Amino acid sequence: MSRRPHRRAFLIAAACLAAAGVAGLAACSRPAPPAPKPEQVFRFRLREDPPNLDPAQVTDNLSDAVAVNVFRGLVAMDPETLAIVPAVADAWTISPDGLTYAFHLRPGVTFHNGRAVTAEDVAWSFRRVLDQATHSPRRWLLEPVAGAADFIAGKSAGVSGLVVEAPDRITLRLEKPFAPLLGMLTMVGASIVPREVYADPAKGYLRAPVGCGPFKFTRWEQAQLLELQAFDGYYGGRPAIDRVQVRIIENQATALEAYRAGDLDSLDEVPNDVTPDLAAEVHKYPFIGVGYIGFNLDLPPFKGNPALRKAINYAVDKEYLWGTLLPGSNIPARGIIPPGIPGYDADLPGYPHDEAKARALLAEAGYPAGRGLPPITLWVNTSEDNRQIALQIQADVKKVGITMKVKEVDWAAYLHAVEGSPTAPGEAQMFRFGWALDYPDADAVLRLQLHSQNIGPAGNFFRYHNPEFDRLIDGALTSTDPAARADAYRRAERIAVMDDAVWLFLNYFGSMTLFKPYVQGIVPTPLGEFRMPLERLRIEKPSKPAA
Amino acid sequence: MIGYLLRRLAGLLPVLAAAVTLVWVLMIALPGDPARLIAGGQSADPGIVGAIRAEWGLDRPMPAQFAAYLGRLLCGDLGTSYLQERPVAAVIGDHLVPTLVLALAATLLASAGGVTLGCLAAARRGRLTDALVLGASLLGASAPVFWIGLLLIVLFASRLHWLPVAGYGLEGAIIPGIGARLPEWDHLVLPASTLALVSMGAIARVTRAALLDTAAAAFATTARARGASRLRVFLQHGLRNALVPVVTVLGLNLAGLLGGAVATEYVFAWPGLGKAMVRAIALRDLPVVEGCVLVLTLIYVLASLAVDLLYPVLDPRLAEPPPG
Repeated sequence: MSRRPHRRAFLIAAACLAAAGVAGLAACSRPAPPAPKPEQVFRFRLREDPPNLDPAQVTDNLSDAVAVNVFRGLVAMDPETLAIVPAVADAWTISPDGLTYAFHLRPGVTFHNGRAVTAEDVAWSFRRVLDQATHSPRRWLLEPVAGAADFIAGKSAGVSGLVVEAPDRITLRLEKPFAPLLGMLTMVGASIVPREVYADPAKGYLRAPVGCGPFKFTRWEQAQLLELQAFDGYYGGRPAIDRVQVRIIENQATALEAYRAGDLDSLDEVPNDVTPDLAAEVHKYPFIGVGYIGFNLDLPPFKGNPALRKAINYAVDKEYLWGTLLPGSNIPARGIIPPGIPGYDADLPGYPHDEAKARALLAEAGYPAGRGLPPITLWVNTSEDNRQIALQIQADVKKVGITMKVKEVDWAAYLHAVEGSPTAPGEAQMFRFGWALDYPDADAVLRLQLHSQNIGPAGNFFRYHNPEFDRLIDGALTSTDPAARADAYRRAERIAVMDDAVWLFLNYFGSMTLFKPYVQGIVPTPLGEFRMPLERLRIEKPSKPAA
Repeated sequence: MIGYLLRRLAGLLPVLAAAVTLVWVLMIALPGDPARLIAGGQSADPGIVGAIRAEWGLDRPMPAQFAAYLGRLLCGDLGTSYLQERPVAAVIGDHLVPTLVLALAATLLASAGGVTLGCLAAARRGRLTDALVLGASLLGASAPVFWIGLLLIVLFASRLHWLPVAGYGLEGAIIPGIGARLPEWDHLVLPASTLALVSMGAIARVTRAALLDTAAAAFATTARARGASRLRVFLQHGLRNALVPVVTVLGLNLAGLLGGAVATEYVFAWPGLGKAMVRAIALRDLPVVEGCVLVLTLIYVLASLAVDLLYPVLDPRLAEPPPG
């Protein structure tokens, strides 16, 4: 047999092997294609669906939690420092007399539908909020603009103080100086929206919002979830989070189990007695808000009786309430203006727990040891925490001789009992309430809640009327001197707290939120957990999409 | 039979009318102003509240509002949700399929489980199995739905990770022609089981009792004498007779099932009609409340009718329609 066929086969095999080896080496030296980046999905929970997502209608936390990520206005608030920062407007000037605000719009800002934002959009959005037909509960944000009153009353077709100077410049002219204006323009109610969407008579925008914020709306399945997607064209840069899923889970216990099981990346409403395995994941931070029990100053026994109101303040042990009964992130309050807000008075004495003083004041009020004082009814709206607070207050005041009944009703019935009308008080003598400041200014609580012009459903449910208090608040509103404003608010607070004891001062708010360890970029904002900037978050490991 | 059917359907109208009227009266009696809630609740501008009241006709006298509502209803218009500003029919549409799926799944589970347990208990009368079934049925009937649901979540979802904690699932099949989505099956297991446990105990006890009665009957004795096993006597002769009271219990429990679904929907974040109705009551969204009551009443009445129509199928001796 000839050796030639074997040799040929050998050579062919060797050639094939060599070719394979060369190909393998070439493949090894070529960089491997990058592994697809895992999608970053951030999942949190709301108790209920927002009523709708029209920024002109948003007044509640549920809607805010979604809206703050979809919409933007001329200016925004830095979530950490609370300073006013550029948003759609990249620069502005305020005239020395405080009457003219001129804004320059940032180039390249687009709505989620791709259209560029112009000054005309700003003017249209503001007119829409002021328009009677919109019924916007946030109309007051823009009422300081000149001509707003005539427009609202139907006396003019436009708002004279809204002046479009150029496609990228708009001026707001005011009737008189209004110091909190920029803070108010950071609120969702002052968001800029596209006319072609929000002029739709079918109101499709109620459930499919379009804004120019970092996330665009993609999906809403009623009672299940809302979904947002990162907006590639966001002027602040595309967020690291690709998608946001907002799951609707009403029951707190279920939500906690969903968090434990890894179906949620963060959770609000952290139980006060959180288990040790979750303690390291709790984030606590202050929240600019104040909790209290309001007194109806037009009803007996509180009408004309500050001594009685002060007695109740001294009788209640706030340290026990927030340190032992409901330990969390709330701080016992001495007054109204929360820490961190200009005008906060660190030297305000407040009403520390003192039963002896309470008894003395009760006697001064005409009810020694509570004799002759009819039972007082404390109203609360349905919530476990409110119930515990009410029962503890009932027990505390009992020790000094005051008999208190607790009445718990749902929110609608509660409002009905508390608010009354501008001319007649509600039936609730005492009622649990809280107020989260929409902007970091004492005006956001003192004027809205205690000025006599707001007596009744507009905010002053206590029907408080002190001319000196009103004078100080009115002066601070139109002042352009921050130090003078802060001083005025301090003095006004002292009147309401130490002279008139308008409330049973309970707590400054605090937030507690659970975050999984892999969630990075968390900003502990005093604006509240629902206004945390999601565009700053990052997920270090991908989370499975919620089912 | 056709006449009987038509008479029963005709009786539906006064039932619906009574339900609508009663709910209207009760909702009106509740304190709370829907216009204020629409306007944002606390610190709402009184001028805006007044304008909303006028827009929705809430400033008209109650009889006029009710008459207007009835007029729209007779034309098939369920009205518009105050809070969501969209048709009530659309609101109900979002929640109806989840409610029906949950109720149906719970009914099937309760029936299958209850009958099986009842047969076991009857076949093992007086023994440990019998005692366990009776004890478990008592527990199922007396334990709160809320508690059972959370227990199942902690065990099967949080600890064992066998099933999802809550929710409906986002990848369920779309029902052709309707557009509504079915749940993902693994999301249905826990809520349906929770709801089924409420009725399963009662069905098990009724099945057991019916089977034991049948076992004492003459025809059963004859069958046994001819060599049939006890199990065969139960299954071939007793079970069909036992199904009549079982179906009765199911029909009677249906109202409880629909009502208990509210607690189940709450625990499992199930987007059902019960939860939507409770929320509408809290927010004084009267059109949605009325619409939900109408639909739930309709479901209950039609289901009761279906139960009545099953009797002759199960027992031909009941084929004669009842008088009237």
